Amino acid sequence: MARFIIRRVIFLVATLFVVSVLAFVVPYLGDTDPARQILRARLGGELALDPAVVEAVRRQFGLDQPLPFQYLRWLEAAITGDFGNSYTNRQPVIDIILRGLGVSFLLALSALVLATLIAVPLGILAALRPGGRRDSSIILMTQGLVALPEYWLAPLGMLVFALWLGWLPAAGWSSPLSVVLPAVVLSLRPLAYLLGVTRASMITVLESPYITAARSRGLSQLLTLRRHGLKNAMVPVMTLFSIWLAGTLGGSVVIEVIFAIPGLGRVMYDAVVNGDMPVVQAGVIATVGLAIVINTLTDIGYAILNPAIVVGDANG
Amino acid sequence: MAEAGRIVAPPLAPTVGSASPWRRFHWAFVVGAGFFVIVCLLLILTPWIAPYDPAEQDLLNRLAPPSPAHWFGTDHLGRDILSRLLHGGRFSVSIAAIAVLITGTTGTLLGAISARVGGLLDDFLMRLVDALLAFPGVLIALFLVFILGPGYGTLIIALAIAGWTPFARLTRAVTLEINTRGYIEAAEALGCSRAFIIFRHVLPNAIGPVLAQGFLRFGHELITVGGLSYLGLGVQPPESDWGAMLADAQLYMIRAPWLVIVPGLTIFLTALSVTLAGHGLRQSLRRGGPRALGAVAAPKEPGT
Repeated sequence: MARFIIRRVIFLVATLFVVSVLAFVVPYLGDTDPARQILRARLGGELALDPAVVEAVRRQFGLDQPLPFQYLRWLEAAITGDFGNSYTNRQPVIDIILRGLGVSFLLALSALVLATLIAVPLGILAALRPGGRRDSSIILMTQGLVALPEYWLAPLGMLVFALWLGWLPAAGWSSPLSVVLPAVVLSLRPLAYLLGVTRASMITVLESPYITAARSRGLSQLLTLRRHGLKNAMVPVMTLFSIWLAGTLGGSVVIEVIFAIPGLGRVMYDAVVNGDMPVVQAGVIATVGLAIVINTLTDIGYAILNPAIVVGDANG
Repeated sequence: MAEAGRIVAPPLAPTVGSASPWRRFHWAFVVGAGFFVIVCLLLILTPWIAPYDPAEQDLLNRLAPPSPAHWFGTDHLGRDILSRLLHGGRFSVSIAAIAVLITGTTGTLLGAISARVGGLLDDFLMRLVDALLAFPGVLIALFLVFILGPGYGTLIIALAIAGWTPFARLTRAVTLEINTRGYIEAAEALGCSRAFIIFRHVLPNAIGPVLAQGFLRFGHELITVGGLSYLGLGVQPPESDWGAMLADAQLYMIRAPWLVIVPGLTIFLTALSVTLAGHGLRQSLRRGGPRALGAVAAPKEPGT
């Protein structure tokens, strides 16, 4: 077990290192001059720039030094949480990222909890009689959910619930009600996947011998489910939940832009549009890093719950 | 459809038994693939069947509701929505199709090689797959737009980087199972090369599941493309696609709700048709076990 955890942690650190190199170096591969980009982000818009000014900015930011040297200096600061200042508003990047992350976390968590609350009962319902009519219609519904574009549902939801009915705020992040519409829209796709996994894992559990044994002892279906089925079937569901949580933290760009929610996705979008390189770099590292950390923790937790996994992993 | 089914069925579903030919395919495949073929035909025939020039403005006839002259109404510049849907769809669908072709081919080959070679290479590739699965595809696209600027090519590259992993996972699983078969052992004993075994034995067996996965991924890519265009990071004006049309429409949605409803419904129905086709194909391949009915696409996959 210790070997498994060490291997996972080494892989985690190695991946983070590769990601940091990519996040730092790749933006320089384009034909944009970072010094000009800084000026453009600060002044807004395309201007005829005085070469002397560009040169001064280049020296000020250390952009005249070789790239590996720049990377090491950046990494040294980044480890202490200093990702530099935003080109656009000159705030510390780390503050911008953390603020966005807090908002995105709240949004992602609400959406996923909602999705799980609906997906698990429906998944179990479908699993009770696989292939039956109820099962087929539930599956058909999940196909529909997967095909729904959220950037279509979001404006429609706004139109109906905010503009026509006036029940919910159309956009923004000011009242607790603001979270409702985006969270509902965001929950639909994970709902479909969580439902599929609940169903599949429940079917496997229900076919296992100890369930048959419980039934043959005369336990009611509900009691069998509650005492024996549910807990075992929920392990893959929790794994998927954490993976989706990691993915949704930075991945709800579209929803955050539509609803004007100041989350990490929105921060990244603005940074890309404005050419704000330090924010893009830190944002990529934050989202990928979090995703990998959450994934690794899930893997380790899973292995502790179910040691057979470790054996499988050691065999390749 | 039944005729097409009869021709394709034997190599795809060799185990399907005595049912009559048109029963070989799940109804979802027939409905989904049928609808999708119609969409593709319409898009191919667009230059001849589109009623108006998609860029032709008619400022006296702005935001007109659906009518016999303009089936889906007109937008804020008086342009015909139907014509714009047809022309825009050529971008949306072709980008998704190219992305699926690229990722399907590379992912399938990598998965098969990974499982046949094994060892360190397999370990490395599968860890890479895990890492990429955790990475939201939209962020890869944002990062690339930052470097390369928005456009058709950027979209395809972004989708290609993010999208090969489900195919690799799937083919690897199929290959690992095939690895245990007797005829592989025989081929190895006869001294067949690795490439020969992969192309002759592994890939023909993997093609059915890969095709089903391809349909499912196509829907996924179509929605992602629309999302990026919606954000203004995809196809650039004066060209337009379904996502960009939705973005344009949002400002006018109170006065002209059909501007939002029509392009979104088009994306939804197209994505639904390929998703159904993939689901149905998978059903036809694994008919017999109710467990196969379950999960959508690859379950380990965060959002767009």
